[in-house]
Amino acid sequence: MKYRYQEEMSPPPPQRVTDVAITRFEHVFEVEPGLMTDHVTQQTFPNWDTLRLVRSRADHLAWMHRHFADKVISGEELLHDLDE
Amino acid sequence: MTVLLGDPVLEELRQILGPEHVLTGKADRLNRARVPAPFPVHRWAERMPDLVVLPASTEEVAEVLRLANSLRIPVVPRDGGTGLTDGAVPLRGGIVVDVKRINQIKEIDLDNRTCTVGTGINALKLNEVIARHGLIYPDDPASYPCSLVGGRIGTSGWSLIGSRYGHTRDLVLSFDHVLPTGRVIHVGDGIGRKITKSSSGYQLKHLFMGHQGTLGIATEATLKLFPKPEAELSPFWAFEDYDSAYRAVGALARAGVATFAGAVLFDEWKVDYLRRDDEAYIPQPSSVKALVCAAMYGYEDEVRAGGRRLLRIARSLGARYLGDEISEGDWAARHDRYATPLHGRTRSGQVVPMSWHCEDASINYTNLPAVRLAWHEIADRLRRESDVFDDWGMFAYTNGATGADYLTEIDIGIWEQRLDDAAWEAWVRAKRDLAAVTLAHGGSISACHGSCREGEVDLVPVELGGGYDVMLDIKRAIDPNNIMNPGKYLLDQAYAEKS
Repeated sequence: MKYRYQEEMSPPPPQRVTDVAITRFEHVFEVEPGLMTDHVTQQTFPNWDTLRLVRSRADHLAWMHRHFADKVISGEELLHDLDE
Repeated sequence: MTVLLGDPVLEELRQILGPEHVLTGKADRLNRARVPAPFPVHRWAERMPDLVVLPASTEEVAEVLRLANSLRIPVVPRDGGTGLTDGAVPLRGGIVVDVKRINQIKEIDLDNRTCTVGTGINALKLNEVIARHGLIYPDDPASYPCSLVGGRIGTSGWSLIGSRYGHTRDLVLSFDHVLPTGRVIHVGDGIGRKITKSSSGYQLKHLFMGHQGTLGIATEATLKLFPKPEAELSPFWAFEDYDSAYRAVGALARAGVATFAGAVLFDEWKVDYLRRDDEAYIPQPSSVKALVCAAMYGYEDEVRAGGRRLLRIARSLGARYLGDEISEGDWAARHDRYATPLHGRTRSGQVVPMSWHCEDASINYTNLPAVRLAWHEIADRLRRESDVFDDWGMFAYTNGATGADYLTEIDIGIWEQRLDDAAWEAWVRAKRDLAAVTLAHGGSISACHGSCREGEVDLVPVELGGGYDVMLDIKRAIDPNNIMNPGKYLLDQAYAEKS
């Protein structure tokens, strides 16, 4: 796959979630950029790196679950049992 | 006053430990003075040790303490350095004893279900090994990936799943402990390494836990192991008001479900913080004012049965289940506060880098609502005084399956780069006020980290009453020259009385 600079450095347009958060990728939340101008400024990431960070975090969370138990029970499934 | 160490001391330490295990470099010393929560960082230079030693055995620790005692040199034990009340931070210079080389797993006893380890190991590393035997050491602090067993003993720490398995004081069966004079003793229930209950003599194990390094150094511990859980369930629920969430968390804790490992109540300040600044970001509508989570561990069939019961209880009290993705993700993220860069807000809403500081107390269930309001008034005052502070809200964690008392914690963001003497004074005053609220409601100043920092420590003698006088007597008897972590817990008073 070819790396296309312009494509990778242009994130999808932001969707406002609340007055302090936006989202550009599904399930990836960012602080509203206007609140990161005085003391902490946002860094520019290629899209693939943003998604890599999110995947790494998901890997970390899965590893932490495995660390404490062999499997995780679904609460949604148990609620479904209660409704039956 | 900082003790200046001359070459003869260095030479003697090098002979005891080998030259490569005596560190004098500035970076080596600086790294062993820092902690995750801000002590007055603008005065960091006052908290630097003169040197760092890295012993590899109980015998080497004993030799270092013998030497320090003979020369009246302050000694501060340091494990993971993740405690939030400065137990591992030197106040008078001297020697920092870093125990990370004492990290061997010496025995795994599958029949008695115990293991014996050097106190420089942490639960995460230990669990990677014992999982191969289907076992777990279930000590689960927020600092799980980086705290060490010795630090857990020194602070008598809290475990997030302690309602199921007990906290550090329950999980550590016995340990070797080097007294300030260099004498080595073994403490536990009785003299056995693996005895869980004894009535022989005084209960010395508890005396040598939670002393914040003021009574010596634990070097080798025998720990209680459990079968590694087959299954975990960690539901998160949303509530439209704090009172409903409060009633629900109490009902969950009192339900008597055997696999119940813990529950946490998040108040509306905490929910606001999660909405704006938590790394996990929980995008909840503004109608959500409080959250509750629970965790269960055990065999799959028992977790499923217990889980259905807790889900039914929560639903009957107005809870809305947040779904598997948020529930599972946020519970797994419970240790991340020690690993992610934290940030807070100025009053104008701008993001600033901030460190996390939590003030904790043990509060009876019935007093939680009142303490919560009083604590937030103090946090609001801080916030009004200075942009250095941000209110990150409150947690309350259950202690046992009875739900009698809760580790209650208010989290304050502190903008370290802007700390100065005035801001530090405001912070110390706030800590003293937070501790006073705890005592006024029949609580204990700390359930978790200890209470030996400026501010809260002032009220420890008030909380303990006559017990504090006994503390002074014990300190004087065990550490006649006040070399162990001097300045902590106001224990210098023990020596003032003597003179």
